[in-house]
Amino acid sequence: MKLSTRFLNFITAIGCFAIAGISIAYFLINEKFEWIPEAALELVREKVLLERPDAKRCSECHKDIYEAWKESRHSISWTSKTYIDASENRTKEKCLACHIPESVTGEKPIPRLELRDEGIYCVSCHFINGKMNGPYDLVAPPHPTYRNPDYVNSKFCGSCHQKTFKEWKSTGVENTCQDCHMPRIKSRLTQKFPLSLLHKKKWVGNHKFLHGDITEKDILIEVEFEENFFNFSLLNKTVPHRVPTADNGDPRLYLYITFLNAAGELVDKNKWIIAPQQDTALLFNKKMAFRYRLFVPVAHANIILKYQPAWSKEKDLIWEKTVHRKIK
Amino acid sequence: MHIIQILSLLIAITTIIGQPVQAKDMVIKEPPKSLDKFYPPQSDQPKWTQQMHKLSTHFGGVFINLKEKDFENVDKHAEKLVEEYKKTSEMVPEWEEYFDIKAAEAFAAAAKTHDIAKAGKASGDLGKTCGKCHAEHQVAVWTKYHWPSFHKIKVIDPSSEKEVYFHKFMKQISGSFKAMRINFGEGQYGRAARALKTFKSEYMELKSTCSKCHTTDDVKRFYVGGDASRAFAGLTKELNAEKPNPGNFWKNVGLVGKTGCKNCHLTHRTYSMIKEVWEEK
Repeated sequence: MKLSTRFLNFITAIGCFAIAGISIAYFLINEKFEWIPEAALELVREKVLLERPDAKRCSECHKDIYEAWKESRHSISWTSKTYIDASENRTKEKCLACHIPESVTGEKPIPRLELRDEGIYCVSCHFINGKMNGPYDLVAPPHPTYRNPDYVNSKFCGSCHQKTFKEWKSTGVENTCQDCHMPRIKSRLTQKFPLSLLHKKKWVGNHKFLHGDITEKDILIEVEFEENFFNFSLLNKTVPHRVPTADNGDPRLYLYITFLNAAGELVDKNKWIIAPQQDTALLFNKKMAFRYRLFVPVAHANIILKYQPAWSKEKDLIWEKTVHRKIK
Repeated sequence: MHIIQILSLLIAITTIIGQPVQAKDMVIKEPPKSLDKFYPPQSDQPKWTQQMHKLSTHFGGVFINLKEKDFENVDKHAEKLVEEYKKTSEMVPEWEEYFDIKAAEAFAAAAKTHDIAKAGKASGDLGKTCGKCHAEHQVAVWTKYHWPSFHKIKVIDPSSEKEVYFHKFMKQISGSFKAMRINFGEGQYGRAARALKTFKSEYMELKSTCSKCHTTDDVKRFYVGGDASRAFAGLTKELNAEKPNPGNFWKNVGLVGKTGCKNCHLTHRTYSMIKEVWEEK
């Protein structure tokens, strides 16, 4: 046999062994990790990962999740100016539990002392009773991860978002918090090449914790001119909790109405603030009625609805409408 | 013997919790900065308050167990009291002189004789050290660490949609409340209705602002609860009527004043004034 043929055979054999090895590893890791001897796993465990590492450490493997989280409000729950101002430079004891939670478990957490700048970070939500938890049982060689059904359950988010959780629960809607605010895509949990390829793609929630945009489809209005009154109602048609909602933040809807006479001149104007902290936020699928006395003749009303999140001074336009009094 | 026991217990309790203020004038002096580290945000817990509770628990534990003749626990509480008392004496250097370790040890020794009369007598010297500090600092500590600084609080002015300082906002809301009352009194119902709309929106802004501290529903019901909501509904109804009923109007004005303004002012204003003086320094 020629030397080149022998070499080719040798390379082919190595390649076959490598493919077989990778296939077996893939199979074991994804399908039968219980077959892997604990002693073998111990060799690749990184104990430091079970000592409450910072988020940057987690990002060494979970890059995509880290980057999404970094853009989330959770990542700045301790450092945001809104929080610092609202909590009088973080002196309000009652804010601490949810702005720097030790461990989120479905009950109200306790505050932690270390790594406060990380806010609500990987360890807060995934490290419970000394173990890494998540929606899947995973062998994850550096650290084992245990499946906990709470991660796809609204109650988990309700640990801190208690008021919103109660609002959602009272609607009877099945979609969970995670369905809307952590939409899932098929992806890999880690991005550390090439080891990440050993993991099967899974449904991974968006760790930006999407806030959701309010649109014309979400908030509907009905209006009616009476002799001396302008009656209108608002309806939260699509969002299965109050709009806006917040346990302690202060997001708002601003409804501005300007009243014009038949000549199109401004004769009156007013505004309504719809906010959870004023108990005026819109319930799901229930009309909220308003009645405004008109002291001058009005022919048209221009209505603008804007939304201001709790953390912003800016208001986003949701819709603008002009309505006309019917001439009898 | 029974009467002596009761009397001793009464003396002890009175000594520890009710040391009267010795002077007729009370000076509320800002607590030392070194205490800050035992309260949030520097601490995750109100550790100074917890320390006070520990002392109080062990002191009470001595007498409760003496009465029950549970001498093992008497000894435990007496020892823990001395230990915690020593620890407390080192927490705030500026207050070290209030503590008398010998008095604490003498009390523990008396308690360990298991003679309630001796323990009661020895509690006097120890109780005085607690009482003196409480008389001079307790109100100040509560004011500093358990009450908000109103002059730092900002409220969103619903008209301008800009944040304004609390005191300025209170003058503004007071003006709207007056505008409603004065216009109504003069028969200017249209103007009164506008003033009511402004007043109500400002009042509701207070609800937003207050909810930053008052996070439980119970307390929210207290300050802008059903009574205030009904009063506002009553005022709106009168001002939407062709001929408002003055009796109903003024009754609801009174309700807003009583359930809204007065309740909160009675609770908060005194402490707010004290803090304002400290923070102006």
